[in-house]
Amino acid sequence: MKDVWFFFKKELLESWRTYRFMILAVVFLIFALMSPFIAKLTPEIMKMSFGDSLGIKLPKPTSVDSWTQFYKNIAQIGIFVVAIMFGGTMSQELSRGTLINLVTKGLSRWAVVAAKYLCLVVEWVVVVSSAFFVTWGYTVYFFPDSRSPHVVAGFLPLLLFGLFFLAVILFGSTLARNSYGGLLFTILVMAVLYLVNLFKDAQNYNPVSLIGDNMALVQGTKDLAKLAPGMAIAVVATGCLLGGAVAVLNKKKLA
Amino acid sequence: MTDILTLHHVQKRFGSQQVLQDVDFSIPTGSIFGFVGENGAGKTTTMRLILGLEKIDNGQIEVGDVPVTFGATKTNRITGYLPDVPAFYSYMTPREYLNLCAEITGIPNRAAKITEMLQLVGLPDNKHRIRGFSRGMKQRLGIAQALLNDPQLLICDEPTSALDPAGRNEFLELLASLRGKVTVLFSTHILSDVERISDRVGILHDGRLQACDTLTNLHQQYGQSQIAISFAAPAAAQQCATVLRPTFGDQVTVTETTVTLTYQGDYTAAAQQVLRALVQADLTPTALHKVDPTLEQIFLAVIKK
Repeated sequence: MKDVWFFFKKELLESWRTYRFMILAVVFLIFALMSPFIAKLTPEIMKMSFGDSLGIKLPKPTSVDSWTQFYKNIAQIGIFVVAIMFGGTMSQELSRGTLINLVTKGLSRWAVVAAKYLCLVVEWVVVVSSAFFVTWGYTVYFFPDSRSPHVVAGFLPLLLFGLFFLAVILFGSTLARNSYGGLLFTILVMAVLYLVNLFKDAQNYNPVSLIGDNMALVQGTKDLAKLAPGMAIAVVATGCLLGGAVAVLNKKKLA
Repeated sequence: MTDILTLHHVQKRFGSQQVLQDVDFSIPTGSIFGFVGENGAGKTTTMRLILGLEKIDNGQIEVGDVPVTFGATKTNRITGYLPDVPAFYSYMTPREYLNLCAEITGIPNRAAKITEMLQLVGLPDNKHRIRGFSRGMKQRLGIAQALLNDPQLLICDEPTSALDPAGRNEFLELLASLRGKVTVLFSTHILSDVERISDRVGILHDGRLQACDTLTNLHQQYGQSQIAISFAAPAAAQQCATVLRPTFGDQVTVTETTVTLTYQGDYTAAAQQVLRALVQADLTPTALHKVDPTLEQIFLAVIKK
Protein backbone atom coordinates (compact mmCIF):
# COMPACT_ATOMS: atom_id res chain seq x y z
CA MET A 1 0.00 0.00 0.00
CA LYS A 2 2.94 2.30 0.68
CA ASP A 3 3.95 1.95 -2.96
CA VAL A 4 0.52 3.25 -4.01
CA TRP A 5 0.99 6.34 -1.86
CA PHE A 6 4.52 7.02 -3.16
CA PHE A 7 3.45 6.66 -6.78
CA PHE A 8 0.25 8.62 -6.18
CA LYS A 9 2.34 11.57 -4.94
CA LYS A 10 4.46 11.31 -8.10
CA GLU A 11 1.29 11.30 -10.23
CA LEU A 12 -0.03 14.42 -8.49
CA LEU A 13 3.29 16.19 -9.03
CA GLU A 14 3.24 15.16 -12.69
CA SER A 15 -0.29 16.50 -13.15
CA TRP A 16 0.72 19.79 -11.62
CA ARG A 17 4.09 20.29 -13.29
CA THR A 18 2.95 19.21 -16.76
CA TYR A 19 -0.06 21.59 -16.45
CA ARG A 20 -2.44 18.66 -17.07
CA PHE A 21 -4.53 19.47 -14.03
CA MET A 22 -4.50 23.20 -14.70
CA ILE A 23 -5.65 22.81 -18.32
CA LEU A 24 -8.45 20.51 -17.24
CA ALA A 25 -9.49 22.83 -14.42
CA VAL A 26 -9.57 25.84 -16.76
CA VAL A 27 -11.62 23.97 -19.39
CA PHE A 28 -14.15 22.78 -16.81
CA LEU A 29 -14.29 26.21 -15.20
CA ILE A 30 -15.08 27.72 -18.59
CA PHE A 31 -17.91 25.19 -18.98
CA ALA A 32 -19.13 26.04 -15.50
CA LEU A 33 -19.23 29.76 -16.20
CA MET A 34 -20.49 29.43 -19.75
CA SER A 35 -23.53 27.31 -18.92
CA PRO A 36 -25.57 29.87 -16.89
CA PHE A 37 -24.24 32.80 -18.95
CA ILE A 38 -25.23 31.24 -22.28
CA ALA A 39 -28.65 30.34 -20.87
CA LYS A 40 -29.07 33.92 -19.66
CA LEU A 41 -27.76 35.58 -22.82
CA THR A 42 -29.22 33.33 -25.53
CA PRO A 43 -32.51 35.31 -25.87
CA GLU A 44 -30.55 38.57 -26.02
CA ILE A 45 -28.16 37.17 -28.61
CA MET A 46 -31.08 35.90 -30.71
CA LYS A 47 -32.78 39.25 -30.45
CA MET A 48 -29.63 41.11 -31.46
CA SER A 49 -28.99 38.73 -34.35
CA PHE A 50 -32.48 38.53 -35.82
CA GLY A 51 -34.22 41.60 -34.37
CA ASP A 52 -37.95 41.74 -35.03
CA SER A 53 -37.64 39.37 -38.02
CA LEU A 54 -37.52 36.36 -35.66
CA GLY A 55 -41.29 36.27 -35.56
CA ILE A 56 -41.65 34.19 -32.39
CA LYS A 57 -41.48 35.23 -28.79
CA LEU A 58 -38.56 33.58 -27.03
CA PRO A 59 -39.39 32.02 -23.67
CA LYS A 60 -37.75 33.46 -20.61
CA PRO A 61 -34.64 31.39 -19.71
CA THR A 62 -34.80 29.28 -16.55
CA SER A 63 -32.48 27.22 -14.37
CA VAL A 64 -33.33 24.21 -16.58
CA ASP A 65 -31.63 25.91 -19.55
CA SER A 66 -28.53 26.54 -17.45
CA TRP A 67 -28.28 22.91 -16.25
CA THR A 68 -29.07 21.56 -19.72
CA GLN A 69 -26.15 23.58 -21.06
CA PHE A 70 -23.90 22.29 -18.26
CA TYR A 71 -24.62 18.59 -18.84
CA LYS A 72 -24.39 19.03 -22.62
CA ASN A 73 -20.96 20.64 -22.31
CA ILE A 74 -19.63 17.99 -19.94
CA ALA A 75 -21.08 14.98 -21.78
CA GLN A 76 -20.30 16.15 -25.31
CA ILE A 77 -16.97 17.93 -24.86
CA GLY A 78 -15.77 17.62 -21.26
CA ILE A 79 -15.30 13.87 -21.10
CA PHE A 80 -13.41 13.86 -24.41
CA VAL A 81 -11.09 16.57 -23.11
CA VAL A 82 -10.50 14.24 -20.15
CA ALA A 83 -9.80 11.36 -22.55
CA ILE A 84 -7.29 13.47 -24.49
CA MET A 85 -5.54 14.71 -21.35
CA PHE A 86 -5.32 11.29 -19.68
CA GLY A 87 -5.06 9.00 -22.73
CA GLY A 88 -1.28 8.67 -22.42
CA THR A 89 -1.13 8.17 -18.68
CA MET A 90 0.18 4.59 -18.90
CA SER A 91 1.26 4.26 -22.54
CA GLN A 92 3.75 7.10 -22.14
CA GLU A 93 5.33 5.45 -19.12
CA LEU A 94 5.66 2.24 -21.12
CA SER A 95 6.99 3.78 -24.32
CA ARG A 96 9.51 5.99 -22.49
CA GLY A 97 10.66 3.22 -20.15
CA THR A 98 10.24 5.37 -17.05
CA LEU A 99 8.84 2.48 -15.02
CA ILE A 100 11.93 0.28 -15.42
CA ASN A 101 13.99 1.95 -12.69
CA LEU A 102 11.07 1.93 -10.27
CA VAL A 103 9.90 -1.63 -10.93
CA THR A 104 13.46 -2.92 -10.53
CA LYS A 105 13.47 -1.16 -7.17
CA GLY A 106 10.49 -3.20 -6.06
CA LEU A 107 7.50 -1.09 -7.14
CA SER A 108 4.58 -3.47 -7.77
CA ARG A 109 2.85 -3.13 -11.10
CA TRP A 110 -0.60 -3.25 -9.50
CA ALA A 111 0.44 -0.26 -7.37
CA VAL A 112 1.15 1.69 -10.56
CA VAL A 113 -2.38 1.02 -11.84
CA ALA A 114 -3.96 1.75 -8.46
CA ALA A 115 -2.04 5.01 -7.94
CA LYS A 116 -2.73 6.22 -11.45
CA TYR A 117 -6.44 5.49 -11.14
CA LEU A 118 -6.60 7.13 -7.73
CA CYS A 119 -4.93 10.26 -9.10
CA LEU A 120 -7.28 10.37 -12.11
CA VAL A 121 -10.27 10.03 -9.79
CA VAL A 122 -9.04 12.82 -7.51
CA GLU A 123 -8.50 15.13 -10.49
CA TRP A 124 -11.89 14.24 -11.96
CA VAL A 125 -13.76 14.73 -8.69
CA VAL A 126 -12.05 18.06 -8.04
CA VAL A 127 -12.57 19.56 -11.51
CA VAL A 128 -16.09 18.29 -12.12
CA SER A 129 -17.28 19.11 -8.58
CA SER A 130 -15.78 22.60 -8.79
CA ALA A 131 -17.50 23.11 -12.13
CA PHE A 132 -20.77 21.83 -10.67
CA PHE A 133 -20.66 24.16 -7.68
CA VAL A 134 -19.73 27.18 -9.81
CA THR A 135 -22.61 26.44 -12.18
CA TRP A 136 -24.97 25.87 -9.25
CA GLY A 137 -24.00 29.20 -7.68
CA TYR A 138 -24.47 31.21 -10.87
CA THR A 139 -27.66 29.33 -11.76
CA VAL A 140 -29.20 30.15 -8.38
CA TYR A 141 -28.07 33.76 -8.80
CA PHE A 142 -29.39 34.24 -12.36
CA PHE A 143 -32.42 31.95 -12.20
CA PRO A 144 -33.97 31.87 -8.73
CA ASP A 145 -36.74 29.50 -9.76
CA SER A 146 -37.86 26.11 -8.53
CA ARG A 147 -37.72 24.28 -11.85
CA SER A 148 -34.55 22.33 -10.94
CA PRO A 149 -35.31 20.88 -7.53
CA HIS A 150 -32.94 17.84 -7.57
CA VAL A 151 -29.60 19.33 -8.57
CA VAL A 152 -27.47 16.86 -6.58
CA ALA A 153 -29.39 13.82 -7.86
CA GLY A 154 -28.55 14.91 -11.41
CA PHE A 155 -24.88 15.33 -10.60
CA LEU A 156 -24.22 12.00 -8.83
CA PRO A 157 -24.58 9.80 -11.95
CA LEU A 158 -22.18 12.11 -13.81
CA LEU A 159 -19.65 11.75 -11.01
CA LEU A 160 -20.03 7.97 -11.08
CA PHE A 161 -19.83 7.82 -14.87
CA GLY A 162 -16.49 9.64 -14.58
CA LEU A 163 -15.12 6.84 -12.40
CA PHE A 164 -16.13 4.28 -15.04
CA PHE A 165 -14.86 6.44 -17.90
CA LEU A 166 -11.44 6.90 -16.22
CA ALA A 167 -11.14 3.12 -15.83
CA VAL A 168 -11.83 2.80 -19.59
CA ILE A 169 -9.12 5.39 -20.32
CA LEU A 170 -6.60 3.69 -18.01
CA PHE A 171 -7.27 0.25 -19.45
CA GLY A 172 -6.99 1.60 -23.02
CA SER A 173 -3.77 3.40 -22.17
CA THR A 174 -2.28 0.23 -20.66
CA LEU A 175 -3.30 -1.78 -23.70
CA ALA A 176 -2.06 0.73 -26.28
CA ARG A 177 1.43 1.57 -27.44
CA ASN A 178 0.83 5.33 -27.50
CA SER A 179 -1.62 8.04 -26.44
CA TYR A 180 -3.55 7.82 -29.70
CA GLY A 181 -4.16 4.09 -29.24
CA GLY A 182 -5.58 4.70 -25.77
CA LEU A 183 -7.76 7.51 -27.07
CA LEU A 184 -9.02 5.36 -29.94
CA PHE A 185 -9.94 2.57 -27.50
CA THR A 186 -11.90 5.03 -25.35
CA ILE A 187 -13.75 6.43 -28.37
CA LEU A 188 -14.59 2.90 -29.56
CA VAL A 189 -15.98 1.95 -26.14
CA MET A 190 -18.10 5.11 -26.09
CA ALA A 191 -19.34 4.45 -29.63
CA VAL A 192 -20.40 0.92 -28.63
CA LEU A 193 -22.16 2.23 -25.52
CA TYR A 194 -24.05 4.85 -27.56
CA LEU A 195 -25.06 2.14 -30.05
CA VAL A 196 -26.33 -0.07 -27.22
CA ASN A 197 -28.31 2.93 -25.97
CA LEU A 198 -30.38 2.82 -29.16
CA PHE A 199 -32.16 -0.21 -27.68
CA LYS A 200 -34.70 1.12 -25.23
CA ASP A 201 -34.67 -1.99 -23.02
CA ALA A 202 -30.93 -1.67 -22.51
CA GLN A 203 -30.92 2.02 -21.63
CA ASN A 204 -31.25 1.74 -17.87
CA TYR A 205 -28.46 -0.86 -17.80
CA ASN A 206 -26.09 1.18 -19.91
CA PRO A 207 -23.43 3.24 -18.08
CA VAL A 208 -23.84 5.91 -20.76
CA SER A 209 -27.32 6.62 -19.38
CA LEU A 210 -25.51 8.15 -16.41
CA ILE A 211 -24.66 11.13 -18.61
CA GLY A 212 -27.87 11.07 -20.64
CA ASP A 213 -30.66 11.34 -18.11
CA ASN A 214 -29.27 14.01 -15.82
CA MET A 215 -31.87 16.65 -16.72
CA ALA A 216 -34.73 14.27 -16.02
CA LEU A 217 -33.18 13.65 -12.60
CA VAL A 218 -32.63 17.37 -11.96
CA GLN A 219 -36.26 18.16 -12.81
CA GLY A 220 -37.56 15.20 -10.85
CA THR A 221 -39.22 13.47 -13.82
CA LYS A 222 -37.02 10.42 -13.35
CA ASP A 223 -36.03 8.69 -10.15
CA LEU A 224 -32.36 8.03 -9.38
CA ALA A 225 -33.28 4.45 -8.46
CA LYS A 226 -34.17 3.83 -12.15
CA LEU A 227 -30.51 4.26 -12.99
CA ALA A 228 -29.40 1.79 -10.33
CA PRO A 229 -28.73 -1.03 -12.86
CA GLY A 230 -26.59 1.31 -14.99
CA MET A 231 -24.72 2.44 -11.89
CA ALA A 232 -24.14 -1.13 -10.74
CA ILE A 233 -22.87 -2.12 -14.17
CA ALA A 234 -20.58 0.92 -14.24
CA VAL A 235 -19.10 -0.05 -10.85
CA VAL A 236 -18.62 -3.71 -11.84
CA ALA A 237 -17.14 -2.70 -15.20
CA THR A 238 -14.77 -0.31 -13.43
CA GLY A 239 -13.52 -3.15 -11.25
CA CYS A 240 -13.10 -5.43 -14.27
CA LEU A 241 -11.28 -2.75 -16.27
CA LEU A 242 -8.86 -2.03 -13.43
CA GLY A 243 -8.25 -5.76 -12.90
CA GLY A 244 -7.72 -6.06 -16.65
CA ALA A 245 -5.26 -3.15 -16.62
CA VAL A 246 -3.21 -4.87 -13.89
CA ALA A 247 -3.27 -8.17 -15.83
CA VAL A 248 -2.17 -6.43 -19.05
CA LEU A 249 0.57 -4.47 -17.29
CA ASN A 250 1.86 -7.64 -15.62
CA LYS A 251 2.50 -9.11 -19.05
CA LYS A 252 3.79 -5.93 -20.67
CA LYS A 253 7.40 -5.25 -21.49
CA LEU A 254 8.32 -2.07 -19.70
CA ALA A 255 10.37 -0.80 -22.66
CA MET B 1 34.31 -16.98 -2.45
CA THR B 2 30.52 -17.48 -2.81
CA ASP B 3 28.64 -16.55 -5.97
CA ILE B 4 26.11 -13.74 -5.80
CA LEU B 5 24.65 -14.46 -9.23
CA THR B 6 24.16 -17.83 -10.87
CA LEU B 7 22.51 -18.61 -14.19
CA HIS B 8 21.57 -22.26 -14.73
CA HIS B 9 21.08 -23.29 -18.37
CA VAL B 10 19.00 -20.23 -19.22
CA GLN B 11 17.10 -20.18 -22.49
CA LYS B 12 15.05 -17.40 -24.02
CA ARG B 13 13.18 -17.18 -27.28
CA PHE B 14 11.37 -14.23 -28.89
CA GLY B 15 8.94 -15.69 -31.42
CA SER B 16 10.95 -17.88 -33.75
CA GLN B 17 14.28 -16.36 -32.71
CA GLN B 18 16.31 -18.20 -30.08
CA VAL B 19 18.00 -15.33 -28.25
CA LEU B 20 19.73 -17.24 -25.47
CA GLN B 21 20.76 -20.91 -25.52
CA ASP B 22 21.89 -22.74 -22.43
CA VAL B 23 23.56 -19.72 -20.82
CA ASP B 24 25.24 -20.97 -17.67
CA PHE B 25 27.63 -18.95 -15.54
CA SER B 26 28.13 -17.47 -12.10
CA ILE B 27 29.71 -14.34 -10.69
CA PRO B 28 31.71 -14.44 -7.45
CA THR B 29 30.71 -11.90 -4.80
CA GLY B 30 32.70 -8.68 -4.95
CA SER B 31 34.08 -9.14 -8.47
CA ILE B 32 33.66 -7.03 -11.59
CA PHE B 33 32.28 -9.06 -14.47
CA GLY B 34 32.53 -7.73 -18.02
CA PHE B 35 29.86 -9.03 -20.32
CA VAL B 36 31.02 -8.79 -23.92
CA GLY B 37 29.25 -9.43 -27.18
CA GLU B 38 28.25 -7.89 -30.49
CA ASN B 39 25.03 -5.88 -30.76
CA GLY B 40 22.10 -8.29 -30.59
CA ALA B 41 24.16 -11.05 -28.96
CA GLY B 42 21.70 -11.25 -26.04
CA LYS B 43 23.49 -9.20 -23.35
CA THR B 44 20.54 -6.91 -22.58
CA THR B 45 18.10 -9.84 -22.62
CA THR B 46 20.29 -11.68 -20.09
CA MET B 47 20.31 -8.62 -17.84
CA ARG B 48 16.55 -8.16 -18.13
CA LEU B 49 16.07 -11.81 -17.19
CA ILE B 50 18.26 -11.31 -14.10
CA LEU B 51 16.06 -8.34 -13.15
CA GLY B 52 12.83 -10.27 -13.69
CA LEU B 53 11.80 -7.95 -16.52
CA GLU B 54 11.52 -10.88 -18.96
CA LYS B 55 10.17 -14.37 -18.48
CA ILE B 56 12.68 -17.25 -18.66
CA ASP B 57 11.68 -20.01 -21.07
CA ASN B 58 13.96 -22.58 -19.44
CA GLY B 59 16.55 -22.64 -16.70
CA GLN B 60 16.88 -20.68 -13.49
CA ILE B 61 18.58 -17.55 -12.22
CA GLU B 62 19.54 -16.99 -8.59
CA VAL B 63 20.63 -13.74 -7.00
CA GLY B 64 22.04 -14.25 -3.51
CA ASP B 65 20.73 -17.84 -3.59
CA VAL B 66 17.15 -16.57 -4.12
CA PRO B 67 15.47 -17.55 -7.42
CA VAL B 68 14.52 -14.68 -9.72
CA THR B 69 10.85 -14.57 -10.66
CA PHE B 70 9.22 -12.63 -13.50
CA GLY B 71 7.35 -9.47 -12.57
CA ALA B 72 8.15 -8.31 -9.07
CA THR B 73 11.16 -10.33 -7.99
CA LYS B 74 12.34 -9.97 -4.39
CA THR B 75 15.93 -10.18 -5.56
CA ASN B 76 15.68 -6.63 -6.93
CA ARG B 77 15.86 -5.38 -3.34
CA ILE B 78 19.59 -6.18 -3.36
CA THR B 79 20.14 -5.28 -7.00
CA GLY B 80 20.88 -1.93 -8.63
CA TYR B 81 20.25 -1.42 -12.33
CA LEU B 82 21.51 1.16 -14.76
CA PRO B 83 19.78 0.78 -18.16
CA ASP B 84 21.62 1.70 -21.35
CA VAL B 85 19.40 4.75 -21.82
CA PRO B 86 18.02 5.58 -18.37
CA ALA B 87 14.60 7.25 -18.52
CA PHE B 88 13.47 9.69 -15.84
CA TYR B 89 10.56 12.01 -15.13
CA SER B 90 11.76 15.18 -16.80
CA TYR B 91 9.64 17.47 -14.60
CA MET B 92 11.43 16.35 -11.43
CA THR B 93 14.67 17.58 -9.91
CA PRO B 94 17.36 14.92 -9.30
CA ARG B 95 16.65 15.06 -5.56
CA GLU B 96 12.91 14.54 -6.12
CA TYR B 97 13.59 11.58 -8.40
CA LEU B 98 16.04 9.97 -6.01
CA ASN B 99 13.58 10.55 -3.17
CA LEU B 100 10.90 8.63 -5.10
CA CYS B 101 13.36 5.77 -5.65
CA ALA B 102 14.40 5.85 -1.99
CA GLU B 103 10.78 5.77 -0.81
CA ILE B 104 10.04 2.72 -2.96
CA THR B 105 13.19 0.95 -1.82
CA GLY B 106 12.49 1.84 1.82
CA ILE B 107 15.80 3.56 2.51
CA PRO B 108 16.07 5.06 6.00
CA ASN B 109 17.55 8.56 6.43
CA ARG B 110 16.73 9.40 2.83
CA ALA B 111 17.83 13.04 2.70
CA ALA B 112 21.38 12.29 3.82
CA LYS B 113 21.69 9.30 1.50
CA ILE B 114 20.51 11.34 -1.48
CA THR B 115 22.99 14.12 -0.69
CA GLU B 116 25.76 11.50 -0.51
CA MET B 117 24.76 10.01 -3.88
CA LEU B 118 24.52 13.38 -5.63
CA GLN B 119 28.00 14.21 -4.37
CA LEU B 120 29.33 10.81 -5.42
CA VAL B 121 28.20 11.25 -9.03
CA GLY B 122 28.98 14.98 -9.13
CA LEU B 123 25.48 16.29 -9.76
CA PRO B 124 24.49 19.69 -8.33
CA ASP B 125 21.80 19.57 -5.66
CA ASN B 126 19.62 22.42 -6.92
CA LYS B 127 16.19 23.16 -8.37
CA HIS B 128 17.15 22.39 -11.99
CA ARG B 129 14.85 19.83 -13.51
CA ILE B 130 16.00 16.68 -15.33
CA ARG B 131 14.45 18.11 -18.53
CA GLY B 132 17.57 20.24 -19.12
CA PHE B 133 20.11 17.50 -18.43
CA SER B 134 22.72 16.34 -20.97
CA ARG B 135 23.13 12.63 -21.74
CA GLY B 136 26.15 12.48 -19.46
CA MET B 137 24.24 14.09 -16.57
CA LYS B 138 21.39 11.62 -17.04
CA GLN B 139 23.91 8.77 -16.95
CA ARG B 140 25.25 10.15 -13.65
CA LEU B 141 21.75 10.32 -12.23
CA GLY B 142 21.25 6.76 -13.46
CA ILE B 143 24.30 5.65 -11.49
CA ALA B 144 23.06 7.52 -8.40
CA GLN B 145 19.68 5.76 -8.51
CA ALA B 146 21.33 2.40 -9.15
CA LEU B 147 23.63 2.77 -6.12
CA LEU B 148 21.02 4.39 -3.88
CA ASN B 149 19.97 1.21 -2.08
CA ASP B 150 23.59 0.08 -1.52
CA PRO B 151 23.04 -2.91 -3.82
CA GLN B 152 25.00 -6.10 -3.45
CA LEU B 153 24.78 -6.59 -7.20
CA LEU B 154 25.03 -3.70 -9.66
CA ILE B 155 23.95 -4.35 -13.26
CA CYS B 156 24.98 -1.79 -15.88
CA ASP B 157 23.88 -2.14 -19.49
CA GLU B 158 26.43 -0.52 -21.82
CA PRO B 159 27.08 2.25 -19.31
CA THR B 160 29.93 3.95 -21.15
CA SER B 161 28.69 3.89 -24.74
CA ALA B 162 27.07 7.34 -24.54
CA LEU B 163 29.79 9.07 -22.55
CA ASP B 164 32.62 11.29 -23.77
CA PRO B 165 36.20 10.11 -23.01
CA ALA B 166 36.40 12.07 -19.74
CA GLY B 167 32.97 10.84 -18.60
CA ARG B 168 33.91 7.28 -19.57
CA ASN B 169 37.12 7.46 -17.60
CA GLU B 170 35.31 8.80 -14.53
CA PHE B 171 32.65 6.14 -14.77
CA LEU B 172 35.16 3.31 -15.06
CA GLU B 173 37.06 4.67 -12.07
CA LEU B 174 33.82 4.76 -10.11
CA LEU B 175 33.06 1.13 -11.03
CA ALA B 176 36.61 0.08 -10.17
CA SER B 177 36.29 1.79 -6.78
CA LEU B 178 33.35 -0.51 -5.98
CA ARG B 179 35.52 -3.64 -6.30
CA GLY B 180 35.17 -5.83 -3.22
CA LYS B 181 32.15 -3.87 -1.94
CA VAL B 182 29.65 -4.37 -4.74
CA THR B 183 29.54 -7.10 -7.35
CA VAL B 184 29.35 -5.46 -10.77
CA LEU B 185 28.00 -6.97 -13.97
CA PHE B 186 28.43 -4.62 -16.89
CA SER B 187 27.89 -5.19 -20.56
CA THR B 188 29.77 -3.41 -23.30
CA HIS B 189 31.26 -3.76 -26.72
CA ILE B 190 34.12 -1.43 -25.79
CA LEU B 191 36.67 -4.12 -25.06
CA SER B 192 39.27 -1.79 -23.60
CA ASP B 193 36.79 -0.89 -20.82
CA VAL B 194 36.46 -4.55 -19.89
CA GLU B 195 40.21 -5.07 -20.02
CA ARG B 196 40.72 -2.10 -17.75
CA ILE B 197 38.52 -3.01 -14.80
CA SER B 198 37.11 -6.54 -15.08
CA ASP B 199 38.17 -9.51 -13.00
CA ARG B 200 36.18 -11.93 -15.10
CA VAL B 201 34.85 -11.80 -18.64
CA GLY B 202 31.94 -13.55 -20.32
CA ILE B 203 31.79 -13.58 -24.10
CA LEU B 204 28.32 -14.01 -25.56
CA HIS B 205 27.96 -14.90 -29.22
CA ASP B 206 24.91 -16.16 -31.11
CA GLY B 207 23.01 -16.46 -27.83
CA ARG B 208 25.58 -18.78 -26.30
CA LEU B 209 28.19 -18.01 -23.68
CA GLN B 210 31.28 -19.00 -25.67
CA ALA B 211 33.80 -18.21 -22.93
CA CYS B 212 33.67 -17.22 -19.29
CA ASP B 213 36.76 -16.95 -17.15
CA THR B 214 39.30 -14.60 -15.63
CA LEU B 215 41.20 -12.41 -18.06
CA THR B 216 44.44 -14.27 -17.27
CA ASN B 217 42.90 -17.65 -18.07
CA LEU B 218 41.33 -16.32 -21.26
CA HIS B 219 44.72 -14.95 -22.30
CA GLN B 220 46.25 -18.35 -21.75
CA GLN B 221 43.48 -20.21 -23.50
CA TYR B 222 42.77 -17.99 -26.49
CA GLY B 223 45.53 -15.37 -26.60
CA GLN B 224 48.19 -15.61 -29.29
CA SER B 225 51.76 -14.95 -28.13
CA GLN B 226 53.49 -12.68 -30.59
CA ILE B 227 56.81 -10.93 -31.12
CA ALA B 228 57.05 -7.72 -33.15
CA ILE B 229 60.36 -6.83 -34.84
CA SER B 230 60.77 -3.37 -36.35
CA PHE B 231 63.28 -2.31 -39.01
CA ALA B 232 64.38 0.98 -40.47
CA ALA B 233 63.35 0.01 -44.02
CA PRO B 234 60.63 -2.21 -45.59
CA ALA B 235 63.30 -4.18 -47.52
CA ALA B 236 64.93 -5.29 -44.29
CA ALA B 237 61.54 -6.33 -42.90
CA GLN B 238 60.88 -8.43 -46.02
CA GLN B 239 64.34 -10.04 -45.70
CA CYS B 240 63.64 -10.81 -42.04
CA ALA B 241 60.35 -12.50 -42.91
CA THR B 242 62.14 -14.64 -45.50
CA VAL B 243 64.71 -15.65 -42.90
CA LEU B 244 62.11 -16.51 -40.24
CA ARG B 245 59.58 -18.38 -42.41
CA PRO B 246 61.52 -21.72 -42.53
CA THR B 247 61.27 -21.79 -38.71
CA PHE B 248 57.89 -20.16 -38.00
CA GLY B 249 56.05 -20.86 -41.29
CA ASP B 250 52.78 -18.99 -41.95
CA GLN B 251 52.87 -17.37 -38.53
CA VAL B 252 55.13 -14.61 -39.89
CA THR B 253 53.43 -11.48 -41.27
CA VAL B 254 54.92 -8.25 -42.60
CA THR B 255 53.35 -4.78 -42.35
CA GLU B 256 55.55 -2.02 -43.80
CA THR B 257 58.64 -2.05 -41.59
CA THR B 258 57.33 -4.42 -38.91
CA VAL B 259 57.45 -8.22 -38.84
CA THR B 260 55.03 -9.96 -36.49
CA LEU B 261 55.37 -13.62 -35.66
CA THR B 262 53.11 -15.82 -33.60
CA TYR B 263 54.85 -18.44 -31.50
CA GLN B 264 53.87 -21.33 -29.26
CA GLY B 265 55.32 -21.94 -25.83
CA ASP B 266 57.96 -19.95 -23.97
CA TYR B 267 58.81 -16.36 -25.00
CA THR B 268 62.55 -16.66 -24.17
CA ALA B 269 63.06 -19.68 -26.40
CA ALA B 270 61.18 -18.04 -29.28
CA ALA B 271 63.04 -14.74 -28.88
CA GLN B 272 66.43 -16.52 -28.84
CA GLN B 273 65.53 -18.34 -32.07
CA VAL B 274 64.59 -15.03 -33.69
CA LEU B 275 67.76 -13.26 -32.53
CA ARG B 276 69.99 -16.11 -33.76
CA ALA B 277 68.33 -16.01 -37.18
CA LEU B 278 68.76 -12.23 -37.38
CA VAL B 279 72.49 -12.42 -36.47
CA GLN B 280 73.06 -15.13 -39.06
CA ALA B 281 71.32 -13.03 -41.72
CA ASP B 282 73.19 -9.91 -40.58
CA LEU B 283 69.93 -8.00 -39.98
CA THR B 284 69.74 -5.29 -37.33
CA PRO B 285 66.25 -4.46 -36.03
CA THR B 286 65.39 -1.07 -34.52
CA ALA B 287 63.17 -2.75 -31.93
CA LEU B 288 62.02 -6.19 -30.79
CA HIS B 289 59.29 -6.65 -28.25
CA LYS B 290 56.76 -9.09 -26.89
CA VAL B 291 53.16 -8.35 -27.87
CA ASP B 292 50.65 -9.25 -25.16
CA PRO B 293 47.36 -10.64 -26.45
CA THR B 294 44.51 -8.13 -26.35
CA LEU B 295 40.90 -8.83 -25.42
CA GLU B 296 40.01 -7.94 -28.99
CA GLN B 297 42.16 -10.83 -30.25
CA ILE B 298 40.65 -13.12 -27.64
CA PHE B 299 37.13 -12.01 -28.55
CA LEU B 300 37.74 -12.64 -32.26
CA ALA B 301 39.34 -16.01 -31.51
CA VAL B 302 36.38 -17.01 -29.32
CA ILE B 303 33.66 -16.03 -31.77
CA LYS B 304 35.48 -17.78 -34.65
CA LYS B 305 35.67 -20.99 -32.59
